[in-house]
Amino acid sequence: MIYDLKVQRVFDCTPEDVFDAFTDPEAQKEWYQLDPDWTVETECDVRVGGVWKSAWGPPGSEPYRETSVFQVVDRPRRLVMTSTMKMPDGSSIDTDLEITLEEMNGKTRMTILQSGFPTPESRDAFESGWPGALERLAGVVHARVSGPRG
Amino acid sequence: MVQYQATLDHTFSALADATRRDILERLGRGPATISELAEPYGMSLTGLKKHVRILEEADLVTTEKVGRTRECRLGREQLEDAAQWIEMYRSHWERRLDRLEAYLERKKGNRK
Repeated sequence: MIYDLKVQRVFDCTPEDVFDAFTDPEAQKEWYQLDPDWTVETECDVRVGGVWKSAWGPPGSEPYRETSVFQVVDRPRRLVMTSTMKMPDGSSIDTDLEITLEEMNGKTRMTILQSGFPTPESRDAFESGWPGALERLAGVVHARVSGPRG
Repeated sequence: MVQYQATLDHTFSALADATRRDILERLGRGPATISELAEPYGMSLTGLKKHVRILEEADLVTTEKVGRTRECRLGREQLEDAAQWIEMYRSHWERRLDRLEAYLERKKGNRK
């Protein structure tokens, strides 16, 4: 799909280390926040059908809430989940999320692929210029990717 | 059609800047004045106004003079599309992966 989001990062450690830090609630409390003073609450039951529930935001305000259900758990290679994020304003969005970890020369490349972003007029718009625009957006997204590309 | 394309060009060049994406995210939590927006960056008001003007030209933000201050809010219609969501998620992931990387580096240091 053309409007998937893809983010990649190379970590200087083993896939097991990355997988465990990604799924461990204690580690998540640290890395899942977006700003140092934000609060994060998280519970993560890493098994097929298990739920990862998190809430994060600036102290004292309505948080973002995210609930994900694991569809595939293949430590340390792959995680697939369906995810619902509820925004502070009450709106929500459903996405599919796939995390892949590949070992390369002692390092680990993580690829995050997220899809299902809403395009209210996507069908009509596809006939009036959206494909080019979304390709440019993908360019913006990919330009930000760090580490070697696969 | 040509007009529509030009608007999209504005939209995407406006989004191709981390500070401007931050400003949009901040405005996603509610309206703010120029000085409130400038504060976290330690940026001059002139510098921030430039970013806001670019966002305004792309219809991503609207501004209104309220007394002696200028209030900014999201230009809703433009942001209802996939670009808004993708940009927001992208910026969330980038920031999280920075932190995850720092976490893993620290853990590795402790093991040595």
